[in-house]
Amino acid sequence: MCGSTATASALFVGRSPTLQKAPPYISLLLILVGVAWLFMLPLNDYSRRTYISENALLPGQVHTYFGGSDQNVLRAYRHEVGALENNTNTEVNDKLEHMFRSMGLKVGRQNYTYTTSGNTIAGENVYAILQAPRGDATEAIVLVAAWRNVKGEFNRNGLAVALALTRYFKRWSLWSKDIILVVPPDSRAGTQAWVDAYHDSHDSRRVADLPIKSGALQGAIAIDFPQEERFEGVHIVYDGINGQLPNLDLINSVTNIASGQMGMGSSIQNMFHHNDEYRDRLTCMLRGMVNQGLGHAVGPHSSFIPYHVDAITIQPVGQGWHDEMGLGRLIEGTFRSLNNLLEHLHQSFFFYLLMQKERFVSIGTYLPSAMLIAANFTITAIALWVKSGYAPKKTTGATAKEAKVDVIQEKKEGADTKKAMRESPEDLQPTVERELYLPLSLVTGCQFLGFVPLFVFNHVPSSLLTPLFIMTTLLSLTLPHALSFFLVTTYKPTHQQYQLITSFFLLLLGMFLSTLATLNFSLAFLVGLLATPLTFVHPFRLVSKLPAAGYAYSALLSLLNPGVVVLGAAVATLHSGMGLGLAGLDLTPWEAIQKVLEESAFGWGVWGMYTPLIFWCVWFPAWVVGSVVVLG
Amino acid sequence: MQLSFTSLIPLLPFFLSPVSASTAPAAADYHEQLNLKPLPQNSLLASFNFRSNTSLPEFEAHNFRFFPRSLGQILQHAGTRELHLRFSLGRWDAETWGARPWDGTKEGGTGVELWAWLDAESDAEADQKWLTLTNALSGLFCASLNFIDSTRTTRPVMSFRPEGDHPNTTMDNMHLLHGVLPREVVCTENLTPFLKLLPCKGKAGVSSLLDGHKLFDASWQSMAIDVKPVCPVGEECVLQIEQTIDMVLDIERSKRPRDNPIPRPIPGHELKCNTTKPYHAEDTCFPTDSLNAQEWTLDQIFGKHMLGNCPLTDPKTPPVCIQAPHSRDVFTSMDVQELKESGNENQRCYLLPSNEEEFHLALPFMPRDGDRPKTDADEFVQPATPLLYAERSLTGHGQEHGGVQAILTNPSPDSEVEFVYMESLPWFMRIYLHTLKARISHRTGSDAGQTLRDDDEVIQEIYYRPFLDRKRGTQLEIRMKIPPGSTVFMSYDFEKTILRYTEYPPDANRGFDVAAAVITILPSNSTAAAAAAVGKVARTSNLRTTGMLLNLPTPDFSMPYNVIIFTSTCIALAFGGLYNILVRRFVGRDEGPEVSLVKLRRRLQEAVQKLKGRIQEKLGVASKEAKKLEAKSD
Repeated sequence: MCGSTATASALFVGRSPTLQKAPPYISLLLILVGVAWLFMLPLNDYSRRTYISENALLPGQVHTYFGGSDQNVLRAYRHEVGALENNTNTEVNDKLEHMFRSMGLKVGRQNYTYTTSGNTIAGENVYAILQAPRGDATEAIVLVAAWRNVKGEFNRNGLAVALALTRYFKRWSLWSKDIILVVPPDSRAGTQAWVDAYHDSHDSRRVADLPIKSGALQGAIAIDFPQEERFEGVHIVYDGINGQLPNLDLINSVTNIASGQMGMGSSIQNMFHHNDEYRDRLTCMLRGMVNQGLGHAVGPHSSFIPYHVDAITIQPVGQGWHDEMGLGRLIEGTFRSLNNLLEHLHQSFFFYLLMQKERFVSIGTYLPSAMLIAANFTITAIALWVKSGYAPKKTTGATAKEAKVDVIQEKKEGADTKKAMRESPEDLQPTVERELYLPLSLVTGCQFLGFVPLFVFNHVPSSLLTPLFIMTTLLSLTLPHALSFFLVTTYKPTHQQYQLITSFFLLLLGMFLSTLATLNFSLAFLVGLLATPLTFVHPFRLVSKLPAAGYAYSALLSLLNPGVVVLGAAVATLHSGMGLGLAGLDLTPWEAIQKVLEESAFGWGVWGMYTPLIFWCVWFPAWVVGSVVVLG
Repeated sequence: MQLSFTSLIPLLPFFLSPVSASTAPAAADYHEQLNLKPLPQNSLLASFNFRSNTSLPEFEAHNFRFFPRSLGQILQHAGTRELHLRFSLGRWDAETWGARPWDGTKEGGTGVELWAWLDAESDAEADQKWLTLTNALSGLFCASLNFIDSTRTTRPVMSFRPEGDHPNTTMDNMHLLHGVLPREVVCTENLTPFLKLLPCKGKAGVSSLLDGHKLFDASWQSMAIDVKPVCPVGEECVLQIEQTIDMVLDIERSKRPRDNPIPRPIPGHELKCNTTKPYHAEDTCFPTDSLNAQEWTLDQIFGKHMLGNCPLTDPKTPPVCIQAPHSRDVFTSMDVQELKESGNENQRCYLLPSNEEEFHLALPFMPRDGDRPKTDADEFVQPATPLLYAERSLTGHGQEHGGVQAILTNPSPDSEVEFVYMESLPWFMRIYLHTLKARISHRTGSDAGQTLRDDDEVIQEIYYRPFLDRKRGTQLEIRMKIPPGSTVFMSYDFEKTILRYTEYPPDANRGFDVAAAVITILPSNSTAAAAAAVGKVARTSNLRTTGMLLNLPTPDFSMPYNVIIFTSTCIALAFGGLYNILVRRFVGRDEGPEVSLVKLRRRLQEAVQKLKGRIQEKLGVASKEAKKLEAKSD
C-alpha cells in the first residue's frame, strides 16, 4: 500500500503545483484528526459497555462460603504474619513453609538475585501448591500475596487473607485446576523471577529453578491489602509490562462479582470517585494510557501478563464496612469463575482502553488515532523524497549542480507536439540525481548514537544516574548546534540533501511508530505526539533565508527534547500524584529523577521492558536529526 | 487359600504373580476382597479386587459362569489373548502416600488406557482386530475408546510383557497394541458397566460399597480390568478376569453427608485450636495440625452400608481386610471373625458369617494427649518408599517451540534402579531426538551436591519410532539406569505444528492433552535371581507420570467466519460482472437483433433510400431518354 501511495504521489506531486504544496497540510490534518479522535473516544457513541464474553465464567453465580469460623483462623494468621514483620526473608519463609506443610500443601522455595543500577536485589520466594483433589496437574491458577507491595508497604492483611483462603480452598473437592499460592518478598522482582522460572525462560545464574511445578497457568490474582481498617471497595490494577493487558473478561468478572454479589465498589486507575462523565472518563483513559505507555510493572500481577497469563491485582481501598472476609469471598468467587474455565481466556479483548470500570474502547476504534499520527511522518517523508528528485523551480543555472541536472528529454519533445503545447514549461521540472551518501550516513549515525545512552543508563550505578542524565540532556541540547556547524562548514549540504535527511528520519520514525502502535498503543501515541513538530522541520537559513526562525524553531524543539520532557514530567508528577509511580512519595526533584531512571534500568534488566529502547533509539535520534535540519 | 490371600497384599516390593504363586485355584471360582489402608494426611486407600476364573474349554464353548458374557464374546470375536483396560483419574501423591498399590501394575495414566495382545497373522490383521476390539469396548464401557485410532496406537517394544501364561506357539502370532485417551473424563457412566460385569453386580458383597459419588470424589482412583490365561503347574489352563478398583479417599471430605457436601465453616467452638498461642481467644484460633487423627466408619466414607457377603464368592476368602498397626482400635459388627496373620503384623481380615445382613467397621478417634497418648505410628503403617519418583512437566513458552523435562529420582541409598521410560506423543508434537539429554545430580558419593552434568551412562538403550503426519504418533522408549541416591533430569525439545482448521477439537483453546509417560521398572538382578531360584519370573512394577496440557497455536475461530463473509461479499460482487462477461455472446453491432427504435429508424432510412432511389431512377430514365433524344437529334 505504501508503495502504491509512493508511486501515485510520484506521479502527481511532481506535476501539479497544488499537490506539491499539499503534504504539510495533509500531515497537519492527520495530526489534528488523530488527536481529536482520541478525545472523541470517551463519548457514548464511540465507547462500549463491557460485557462478559466467555460464558463459562459465570461470575457471581456461586454462593461463597468463606466466613464464620474461618474468620477466627484469619485473625490468628494475621497475628502470625504480623509477628514476622521484622524478620529476615529466610525466617519468614521457614515459618510460612511450616504453615503450608501443616495444611497439607506441597511447598517450594526459590532464590533470585538481580543486579541493576549497581544495586543487588536478592530474595527468596516461597510458594505452595494446592493440588486439585481430582485433577492431574495440567492446569493451575495462581494467588499472589507479596510480602511487600509495590510501594514497599507490609502486606499483612493480604497475606493473612491468602493463607486463610488457601486453608479453606483445601476443603473443597471441586477444583479442576491446581491452586498455587506464591509469596514473594517484594512485588517487583520476586514475581518476575518466579514466573520466568515457571516458564523456563530464566537466566539460571540469577534465578534458581523451581523445585516443583504444576500445569499451565490459566490466571493469576494478586492481593495487595496493607491497610488495617475496613474498606469501601476494591481497586483493580491491570496494567502489565510493556503495556500488555489481561483479558477484559477477567476484569469484568471481578467488577461483576464485587458490585453484583458483594456490594462493593470497584475502581480502576486510581479514580476512586468516578461519576461517569466525559471529563472523568477522559482522565481515566489518559491515566491508563500513561501507565501503558511507561510499560512498567504496577503490581505483582504485571509479570504474568507477558506469558499470556491473565492477571490482576486487587487492592482494597477507602473507608467502609467491608472486612477481610469480604475480600476473601470476592477472591473465592473469582477463583470459582476461573475454575469453571474449560479453555484459556480468549473470548474477550486483549487490546482495549478502559475509561470507566464498565466502559471501554477496543483496538479497532482507538488504533486509528495513533496510526494517523504515525502516518503523518510517513506522508511528509514520501513527499520530501519525491520533491528531492526534482530540481528547485527557480534554477538560476549558475550553481555547481547544473552539470548534474538531467533534463528529461521525453518523447514529448519531438513527435507529440500537441501534449507539449498543453503543458507550460514551468510545470516540466527537470529531475535530478539524489545525493544519498551524506543523508544516509547522518541518519544512520544518529540512529546508532542512541545505543550509547541506552547502554550507559542501564549499567551505571544509581548514584550517578541523575547527574549523568542531566549532563546527557545538556549535551543533547547542544549536539544539534555542533553537528549543524560541522556539517555546514565541512560539507555544505544542499537543500536536496536536507530534504533527504528529513525524509529518511521521518520515514524511520513513521515506520517505528506505526509498528509500535499495534504493540503498545499508548507509547506510540505519546512519542508520536511529542515528535509532531519534527514533521515540519525545514532548513530555515538555507532555504527561507530566515536564520532567526530557525533558532526559534530549534528552541521549540529544545523544549520537546526527550531528556527535557522526562525531567519536566518527573518534577511535574511529583505533586500532581499520577504517573511514573511517584505518587505519594516524599521526594526531592533530584531523587524523583533518580527514581525514574532506576525504574527504567530495572525494567530493562528485570522485566524486559522496552520503553528505554523506544526512548533512546527511536525518539532521541529523530529529535537530534530534526534539530540539525532546523539549524541548517 | 493362605497363599492366594498373601498375594492380595499390595505394596510388597516385588510381589509375585498371584496365580503362579497359588497352588490350587479351582477351575471356576470367584473371589472378592476389599483392602483398606489408612495413609498419612487423613487419607485412606481402598482397594477392591474381584477375580474370577473360567476354564479355557468352557470359555471356547461359550459356557460362561462367572466370566461376563458380554466381555467374553468381544474377546473371542476380536481374537484377544490378553486384555488390560484402565480408567484413571487424579494423581498418586508418592511423596505422602509412598509406593503404589499393586506396584502400580493395576493403574493407568489419566483418562483411559488400553493394551491387548491380539492373535493375528500380520500387522494389518492385528490393526483390523484392534479396531474391532476398541469399537466393541467403547460400546460396552460407555467410553470413547473408538477414538483410539492409528495416531494414538503404538506397539510398545520394551515396556510391556504378557502377564499370562501363553504357550510358545501362540506367542509368535501375538501382537501387542497400546492406546491412550488422555482427555477422556472417567465418570459414573464407566462405573455402571464395570459393576455389571461382576457376578453380584454391586448388590451384595464388597461391591455394594461402590458408589459413583464417592468413587469420583476420591483424590485418586483407578479402575482396571485384566483378562489373561493362567496355567498353573499340572492343571488345566484357565482364563482369569481380574477387576480392580483402587481409590484414595480424603477422609474428611468423604465423611460429609451426601445431601450436604458443601464445606461450610464449622462452628467456632468446634475448631481445634492451638491454645498455647499468646493471642488465642474466643474469636482467634490458630488451627492445630488436624491432619493426622483419623476417625471414620465404613458406611460414613462410602456413603452406603456393606450388604453382607456376595453369595457366589469363595467363602474362605475374607471379604474385608485392613492394613493398620495392631495398636489401632478397630470395631466391627458382632459375630464377625477377625483373622490376624502371624507373619504380617499390620494386617487384619474379617470373615463374615454367611447370613450377615450388614457389615459395620469403625475406626474410632484416638486421642493424641491424655494418659495414653497415641502417635502416628499407631494410626497408620508408614508407607513404603517407592523405587522411583517421576515428575514430568512442559518447559518453554510461546507458540513455536517447547520442551519436556522429566525428573526421575532414585530414592534408594544403595541399589540402582533400571527402568523403561515410554512416551507416546501425538504427531503434532514434533520432537527433536538429538536434543534428548540426560543430566544427573548425585546426592551421595564423591560428587554429591554438585551441579548437573551430562551422563552417557544413564541412557542404556533407545527405541524410537518417529511420527508420520496425521498417521501415527511418536513412540519413544528409553531404557535407563539410575545409580543410587541420584536424580536424572531428562529433557528434549519439540516443535509445535500448526494444525488444519478442522483438526482442532471443540474448546480448542484449552490445549491438547498429552498422555502420561509409562515407566516400567525392571526387576533388579538380585530380585530376578531370587525369583528364579524358586522357579518364578520376577515381576516388573509400573509408574505413570501426570499428563500434560500442550498449547498449540490456535486460530481465532471467529476469523474463518469473517473470511467467509468477506469472501462471500467479494464473490457476490465479482460474480455478477464475471458471469455477465462469461455468458454473454458478443456480436457485431450489425449482427445482433435490433431494438425497435433503431429498427424504426432504419426502416425509415430504408424507405427514404428507396424513395430516393426511385426518384433517381426515374430521373435517370428521364435523362437517358433525354440523352437518347439528344443523341438522335445529333
